[in-house]
Amino acid sequence: MEQFAPVKRSKDGQPVRYLIVDDSVFARKNLARIVETFGGQIAGEAGDGLTAITEYDRTHPDIVLMDITMPQMEGIEAAEKIVQQHPDARIVMVSSVGYQENIVAALQRGARHFVQKPVKPEVLYEVIKYVLGEDATVASAAGAGA
Amino acid sequence: MSHSSDERNAELREFFFETAQELLQSLNDEALKLENRPGDKETVRSIRRVAHTLKGDAAACGFRELSETAHEFEDALALESAAANQSLAEIAFKAADVFTAMLAAYRGKTKLPSTAGFLKMVDELTHAPKGGKSKGAKSKAKKKSSSTPMLAKTGWSEYERLAMQRAATDGLFVYHVITQVDPNCAMPIAARQLVLNAASSIGEVLGVRPEDKSSAPTKQLEVLLASQQAQEAVSVKCRIPTVISSVHIEIVLTPQQQAGNVSAAEGNDEEAALLRDDAQITEAAEAETQSSAPRNIGAASDNILRVDAERIDSVLNLVGELIIGKSMLQQAQNEFARRYPKDALRGRLSDAMAFQSRVLNDLQRSVMKIRMVPVEQLFRRFPRMVRDVAKQCGKEVTLVMSGQDTDLDKSLLDAITEPLTHLVRNSVSHGIENAEERTRAGKPAHGKIHLKAYHQGNQVVIEATDDGRGVNAEKVKARAVEKGLITSEQAERLSDAEINALIFRPGFSTADQITEVSGRGVGLDVVQSVLQRLKGTVEIESRPGQGATFRLKLPLTLAIIKALLFRVEQRLYAIPLNTVAEIARAHESDLHVVDYFEVLQLRDQVLPLLRLGRASSSTERTGKIFVLVIAMGERKLGLIVDALEGEEELVIKALGNHTVSTDLVGGASILGDGRVVLILNLAALVERFAKMRPTETGSTISGILLSHSDRMQLAVQKAEVRA
Repeated sequence: MEQFAPVKRSKDGQPVRYLIVDDSVFARKNLARIVETFGGQIAGEAGDGLTAITEYDRTHPDIVLMDITMPQMEGIEAAEKIVQQHPDARIVMVSSVGYQENIVAALQRGARHFVQKPVKPEVLYEVIKYVLGEDATVASAAGAGA
Repeated sequence: MSHSSDERNAELREFFFETAQELLQSLNDEALKLENRPGDKETVRSIRRVAHTLKGDAAACGFRELSETAHEFEDALALESAAANQSLAEIAFKAADVFTAMLAAYRGKTKLPSTAGFLKMVDELTHAPKGGKSKGAKSKAKKKSSSTPMLAKTGWSEYERLAMQRAATDGLFVYHVITQVDPNCAMPIAARQLVLNAASSIGEVLGVRPEDKSSAPTKQLEVLLASQQAQEAVSVKCRIPTVISSVHIEIVLTPQQQAGNVSAAEGNDEEAALLRDDAQITEAAEAETQSSAPRNIGAASDNILRVDAERIDSVLNLVGELIIGKSMLQQAQNEFARRYPKDALRGRLSDAMAFQSRVLNDLQRSVMKIRMVPVEQLFRRFPRMVRDVAKQCGKEVTLVMSGQDTDLDKSLLDAITEPLTHLVRNSVSHGIENAEERTRAGKPAHGKIHLKAYHQGNQVVIEATDDGRGVNAEKVKARAVEKGLITSEQAERLSDAEINALIFRPGFSTADQITEVSGRGVGLDVVQSVLQRLKGTVEIESRPGQGATFRLKLPLTLAIIKALLFRVEQRLYAIPLNTVAEIARAHESDLHVVDYFEVLQLRDQVLPLLRLGRASSSTERTGKIFVLVIAMGERKLGLIVDALEGEEELVIKALGNHTVSTDLVGGASILGDGRVVLILNLAALVERFAKMRPTETGSTISGILLSHSDRMQLAVQKAEVRA
């Protein structure tokens, strides 16, 4: 797997913390592996929208990667609820092609960006950097670049 | 500008909502006029002026849909043929409704109502031949896309140009951002949304091309953006990975100084006042004849301040605290006078006290005056409503209004809007007979409703009188029995006034058939409950065959009352002084029991009595008691109390539902010595009393507060903790 220059939080130089929400255990593992190549840290995981909300409250991650179709509560609703509670929450929707309507709905409700499944690491990497904006720095010294 | 543009925008919008109300009101007024005098040129011009002003104001506030709808309407009115169209009044009414609905949607941040129906009417207006007889013949085919103008790529609409100008005067940059959507992006609509999100996060989006998101995938997306951010920052924000391949930005306008764009406004003072420093660019060209502009339209004179009601409330609250302070001082002074009756300081103290209390009274009065608004503000919505309801019922009704300049507390005014509307609707739909029936009864075919407001002592009275059929006492009686509100024996004993009062009871409606207009299952009990909450009363005076009068009586203000303080079982209570007709002393042995109710023979009348205390001990009581004779509308009753404490001005503090769970207590107040007094809600007390049925056990009715005393005690303790 490719290596990326680690993305760190600019306020304290710590790794960026992720909350991964997907009902598929495999998808979660996959995403976790990808973000770890960005130097990220997994703050928590959730298999449905409701758990996502409580996990957000517990862990306060820097980024949420949110699937759209899930049991209990769909990703859009969970995203909306989280943003209502935490306007600063950075939520990136993760979805298959063909869910454009849902993506637009999520974006209108406060999600920051979206990536398509299957997730390409280099795409997610760019998206993460954009979403974090000035809140993240890319450690240029470390390892091989992308 | 000393404050931020956000704050300014919010303020501006609030101001717009208020002035827009006024505009819509005059639109309704003019439409009514036009209905009476179809084709009147002056009236049509007034309507057009209103539409024009609304268009400009709405655009300035960023309410684009409203602005454009008003624009369509205004344009249509410019046509000679349209102005002469017979159905114009109808369209103007429709316009007022549509604009009102849109305003409400903007205000509540809800979905905008559809304007399609209205625009179609306007469209027909512009295309229909003179006289307006053939409607909708060809309009569908050539339905203009005017509601969503599709302009050339870089052509911005009138609204957008106004918005740009405004943003520039607000000290913002206006950018034209052109983004190329990544050809690999499979979700162009989501991409569009992302660009809009990104743009909104750094400024205000004034316009987008293409406008419609459902159109075929576009390669290029253009955004008109007003922002304080530098061009570079905008560029970074809009270069969105995975969806946007490139960004090109042009600066359209740079922030402007205030001066230099007020010039165009001359000759149109009213607009200038409304729009303040807003751009007049496109407007000045249309030379409006302003000579005959309606006086009241948005005439925001320099001497009138629009202030948030909350600020006034907080001043009034402070005045209330001062009054508490005054009674604290008063008590200290009394104590001083008692201890040192000979001290020279005493006189000086009491002089100072007298002076202070006089100023305090003036202050209180002045602050209350600020909150007062003329009843006109409430009344003026009625002409339109009466017309609509009458039309729906197929009746002809004239509305006469008087006493519009009577002042009333703004919050009271708002609160009685609904009940009064209900009463007037009721009068039109049920009170006034149809023309045929009226002629048969020897009355003019036109029904008449008279709305009247006046001051009476410490109260404001609002009356709605109709010349309809009046209340049919027999019918009311029968219905009340049928609904189980009273028994048939009770019915026989009731006076006319008491029978009339029955129609305010929940679950009562005399209308033979339920009409769309007023028989929506909600009865006059709603009116009653609102009035009770406001410490006012509602009564009805019926002249069978000749009409009925509904009379709402309201206190001048809700915040401060003169109250009588008394004790029952060591607990302190208060009631508004103006409800106390007299105070009588009686012996326990003077009390009699009739129908399980305790009564007192007071001079020539028998007074039902109400005990606030415990029921059980009543038999053991001996000695003298105080009876407060309370007059509530038609009804009188006596309240037995243990001791009187005196009268005092109380500043009412509302109690939350969690502190007091009974409606018998209307509020609380703090006395000068720090004690807490509960203010009884007499209307609820009387209501409770009226509903009480003699119990099977044979015990007399009394001690009605008993079941609540625990909770009330709790309330007192809590309040004391807070105080």
